[in-house]
Amino acid sequence: MKSKAYDSESQSVDRNVIAELRDVSKSFGDVLAASDLNLSIGEGEFLSFLGPSGCGKTTVLRILAGFEVPTKGEVLLDGEVVNGLDAYNRPVNMVFQQYALFPHMTVTQNIGYGLRQRRPRLSKTQIVKKVTKALDVVQLGGFENRRIWEMSGGQQQRVALARAIINEPKLLLLDEPMAALDRKLRKEMQIELQNLQRQLGITFVLVTHDQEEALSMSDRICIMREGHIVQVGSPQELYDRPKSRYVADFVGTSNFFSGKITNLTENLVSVLLENGMSMQGILGGELTVGQDVCISIRPEQMRLHRQGDGLTVKVLNRIFLGEHTEYLVTHGTLGDFLVLSPRQSELNDVPFNRGDEGLVSWDSSIALILENN
Amino acid sequence: MRIYATCVYLFLYTPIAIIALFSFSAGRHASQFQGFSIKWYGKALSNPFVMDALETSLMVAVASAFLASVFGTMAAVALQGIKGLVRTVFDSLIYVAVMIPGIVIGIATLIGLVTVFDQLNPLVSTLWPTGFTPPKLHMGMGTLIAAHTVFLMALVVIIVRAKLVGMDRALTEASSDLYATPMRTFQQVTLPIIFPAILAGFLLSFTFSFDDFIIAFFVAGSETTLPIYIFSSIRRGVTPEINAIGTMVLGVSLLMLITAQLLLQTGGKKNK
Ligand SMILES: Nc1ncnc2c1ncn2[C@@H]1O[C@H](COP(=O)(O)OP(=O)(O)OP(=O)(O)O)[C@@H](O)[C@H]1O
Ligand SMILES: [Mg+2]
Repeated sequence: MKSKAYDSESQSVDRNVIAELRDVSKSFGDVLAASDLNLSIGEGEFLSFLGPSGCGKTTVLRILAGFEVPTKGEVLLDGEVVNGLDAYNRPVNMVFQQYALFPHMTVTQNIGYGLRQRRPRLSKTQIVKKVTKALDVVQLGGFENRRIWEMSGGQQQRVALARAIINEPKLLLLDEPMAALDRKLRKEMQIELQNLQRQLGITFVLVTHDQEEALSMSDRICIMREGHIVQVGSPQELYDRPKSRYVADFVGTSNFFSGKITNLTENLVSVLLENGMSMQGILGGELTVGQDVCISIRPEQMRLHRQGDGLTVKVLNRIFLGEHTEYLVTHGTLGDFLVLSPRQSELNDVPFNRGDEGLVSWDSSIALILENN
Repeated sequence: MRIYATCVYLFLYTPIAIIALFSFSAGRHASQFQGFSIKWYGKALSNPFVMDALETSLMVAVASAFLASVFGTMAAVALQGIKGLVRTVFDSLIYVAVMIPGIVIGIATLIGLVTVFDQLNPLVSTLWPTGFTPPKLHMGMGTLIAAHTVFLMALVVIIVRAKLVGMDRALTEASSDLYATPMRTFQQVTLPIIFPAILAGFLLSFTFSFDDFIIAFFVAGSETTLPIYIFSSIRRGVTPEINAIGTMVLGVSLLMLITAQLLLQTGGKKNK
C-alpha cells in the first residue's frame, strides 16, 4: 500500500505504511491482553512499545509475528490482511528475549538458518556470502564455528540479531533484546542497534519497559497500559505534551498535584487543589469544569532560589547528579516534591543544604493540567 | 525418575553382583570360589542353546526397543500439542503403565492375545483359498516383541516428554519465524535436540527387554529368550556357567544404562 497515513496529530506517519493494526484485540481466557489496538507502522521507522510488565507488549509483537491470532480485528502487512498467515510465511523476523538460538548449531548455521529454508533453494555460495556479510555487520568475524554456549550474552545477542536481519524482513521485532545485558553493554548495543537500523533501513519494532531506552532510540513510542494504547508520539511529544498523568509519569519524572478545574474561561485554567490551594496551568487535553485533574510540573521546570517570589519550602534531601542537582523539598500545603537545578545556577549561587529554606517558582504556562489517571 | 530407575536397578542387580564373583570360579560348584578362571565364559559361549537364546533375546530387544522409541517419540511429540483434561488422563495412564507389575502385563497380554487368536484363526482359515495351508496366529517372537513394545513405549514417552518439556518453546517459534514449516522445524530443531533422550530411551528399553523374564515367560510361546533359558537351567541346578551368562547379561545392561544416563545428562546441560 503506497498511501500515506496521517492519523491524529501524534499518530501521523510521514512514511509509507508497512504494517497496520485495526481494532485488534486478543484475549487469553478472560485476560484481555490487547484491546482495540489501532496503529500504523511506517516503513523504515523505529517504533517502540513501552509499558509496565503485563500490559500486553509481547502479545502485540507476537500478533505481528504470527504466533498469536487476534481474537478480533485485522493485522495488515504491506497492505494485505495477514490474520490467517502462519508465522513461517510472514516476511517478519523476531529477536527473542532469551535469543532462542539453536543450541545444536554453530554460529554460522544459526545465522544461515532462515536462508536455508528458502524455496527455491539458495545456492551454498550465496548463503555463505550473505552469512559472512551478516557476521561482518554485527562484528562477529572469527566466531563462525563457535558453539552457542561458548558465546557471551552480548555475542549471543549479536548472533540473534544477525540471524534475523540476514533475511531482510519487512519488520524486525525485538522483544526486550537488551534486558539480559549489563548496563554498559546495553548502552553500547542501543547505539549499535540504532546505527544498524539507519544503515539497513529495516523497520524496527521494539518492546521495552525501560523508558530511557525507548526515549533514546525510537522515532515514535507507543505507550501501553493494561492492553490499551494510551498515547503514540515522538519521544519529545510524549515528554512535552503527555495526554494523561499515566504518560507523564511513565515518560520522565514529574510532580503531580491533584485537584478539580474551577474555571475554564481564561487563558490560564485555574485548578482548586485537594489541599485547598489554587494553582494555574494550561490544558493538556480536553477537560471540563469540575473534572478530577492533576497539575504536572517537571522537576527541571521548577526553580529553587533565595530571593524573589515563590513558595517557601524546606530542603529535605539533596542528590548530586553531575550536571544537575536534585532536591527533595517540602511545602506546608503541597507536600513533598522534586526540583532539579542545573549545575550552572549552583555555581553562581551557594548550593542549598539539607534543612535550608528556599523559594520555589515556575511559569504557569508550563504547568500541564492532565486527566488524573 | 533417574533416582527411581537407579534404585530399581540396584535392587535388581545386587544379588547378581554376588553371582558375578562366583562366575570367575575355577571349580564346578556355583557357590564356592575355587581359584580364578574364565573357563565358564568360554563354555557358555560355545553352548548352542545359550547362543540360540541370546540371538532371540537380542532380536526381541532390538526390535521392541526400536519400535518403542519410534512410537514413544511420536506419542510424546503429539502429547505436547494437547492440553487440559485429555493430557492429564494420558499422562497418568502412561505413568500407570510403567508401574504395573510385569506379571499383570504378562498374564493380561497372554489372555488377551490367546482369546483374539482363537477367534481369528478359524475366521482366517475359512476365508483362505482351499488347497493352501492358512497362516496360524500363535504366541512367539511376534507377540513377545509386541508385548515389550507396548510396555516400553510408556517408558520412552516419559523420557522424551521430560526433554520436550525442558526445551524452550521459543526455539520452535524461532524456527517457524525463520520460515521453516512445522515439518522442517521438527526435523531441524526438535528432533536433534531431543535425540539424546530418544537414544537413552532406546537403550533403557533394550535393557528392560533384554532382562525381562516375566512378560516373556507368558507370551514367548515356544521361543526361548536368555532369561527363560537361565530359568529353566536353574531348575537343573545352578552351575558356574549360569553365573557366567548372568554376569554377561549384567555387563551389557550396565553398559547400556550408563550410556543412557550420560546421554540424558550431557544432552541436558548443553541445551540450557
Ligand atoms: N499464552 C498466554 N496465556 C494466557 N495468558 C497470557 C498468555 N500470554 C500472555 N498472557 C497474559 O496477557 C497479559 C499480557 O502479557 P504480555 O506477555 O503481552 O505482557 P508484557 O507487556 O510483554 O509483559 P512483560 O513486560 O512482563 O514481558 C498478561 O496478563 C499475561 O498474563
Ligand atoms: Mg513481554
